[in-house]
Amino acid sequence: MKYIPFFGCMMTIKYPWFEAAVRRTLANVGLEMVDVDGFTCCPDPIYFQARDKIEWYTVAARNLTLAEAAGHDVITTCSGCTATLSEVNLALKEDQKLKQQINERLKEIGPEFKGTINVRHAVTVLRDDFGIDQVAKTVKRPLEGLKVAVHYGCHLLKPSRIMRVDDPDRPTILNKLLEAIGAEPIHHDLTLLCCGRACMTDSIPNQMVAEILDAVKAQQADCMGLICPSCFDEFDLGQITLGRKLGKKFEVPIVYYFQLLGIAQGMSLEEVGLNMHKVKVDKIFDTSPARA
Amino acid sequence: MSDKQSTRTPEKHKINYAFREKLNAVAEGYRHNFCYQCGACVADCPTGNHSETFNPRLIMLMAILGFEEELISPDSEIWNCTNCYTCSERCPQDVRPVDVIIALKNICYDEGKAPELIGKVSDTVLTDGITTKITSLAERRRAELGLAPIKQYPVEDIQKIIRGK
Repeated sequence: MKYIPFFGCMMTIKYPWFEAAVRRTLANVGLEMVDVDGFTCCPDPIYFQARDKIEWYTVAARNLTLAEAAGHDVITTCSGCTATLSEVNLALKEDQKLKQQINERLKEIGPEFKGTINVRHAVTVLRDDFGIDQVAKTVKRPLEGLKVAVHYGCHLLKPSRIMRVDDPDRPTILNKLLEAIGAEPIHHDLTLLCCGRACMTDSIPNQMVAEILDAVKAQQADCMGLICPSCFDEFDLGQITLGRKLGKKFEVPIVYYFQLLGIAQGMSLEEVGLNMHKVKVDKIFDTSPARA
Repeated sequence: MSDKQSTRTPEKHKINYAFREKLNAVAEGYRHNFCYQCGACVADCPTGNHSETFNPRLIMLMAILGFEEELISPDSEIWNCTNCYTCSERCPQDVRPVDVIIALKNICYDEGKAPELIGKVSDTVLTDGITTKITSLAERRRAELGLAPIKQYPVEDIQKIIRGK
């Protein structure tokens, strides 16, 4: 089975090492990607959706028609892209009148939206199409003893009516994927708290980020593991700027799941960009050669 | 109840039906009509738990009563919603409060009453096709990682299907 990757703006430009980690690790699991030309911003579920929801549907539907033409499901690797493309895909499949309205706009530039494919976050595809065991089989260097505080983020799970990935209050998908690579998933009271990224007032997300980082530290986790570049922004760079503001050093390394998978598959820190983070992560990995 | 409090009770407020009609006409805005003020959306709201003034139930109530001035403004509480969708999970009436809030944001933008950042960020989709600025550093890093160069974004197509502002 082939999949169309949709990396979105942040991963393509700001965090290309996440894209590199996703491409390499998924290839090792056996997933074949077919790249499609012409994708734009998903568009983002916060700013662009706040601007005009009909236009948000339209731009997202245009992206979806490109994938429909190629004939494979889309895999997303950013929770924002996941939120936009999943919601628009479902809304247009469910609401014929809305689909007609959007297709009227798309007529000028290309094919209409048909509703023939699905959109899924890469972690969902790993769990459901390949299986946790298949992921575990690719591991050459189990991350034994690595305590990873899980941060699910909001848009992988909610709205559950649309996402249909896991129980939004008791999710297990990331725990299972971490266990598959030998790491120890750590839950804390704020595992499911939002990073606050979308708030227009700094003080609210600042409080959320500080509380979550403190909770991670209290559990003595080695790092925080997540699957969304926006959350990553909030906790990595955000941790530094917030620390300056508060006169405090959190020193919680933040890692994207596919970087961890890459390390477990035997890749170097540089290959998955773990040398690029604002909060240094090198201390937490045993970088001795992989046990083949 | 003191006089001061009673001046803001629903009984004394004339419902602004014109505003509600306006909200009904925006995508997903009609869902505010389903709200029966049970408050299930409140307890797990992350913004509500980190702010003394944000309350999704009250935002729905203001929509029902048509408090246009409070809701349609760049300083409105709606801009502190984190879009986490926890309220939509809890709501027994399928109000989907986040979607009502987004509908209110759409009205703000349409009337030029959204925070500047909304237009500034979303405009880049029209001008660049994306919301993150392409830099030579990004190009270099992609090359170092063995990734394909960034392709031209089809901005003309985007401009044909959405209006500028």
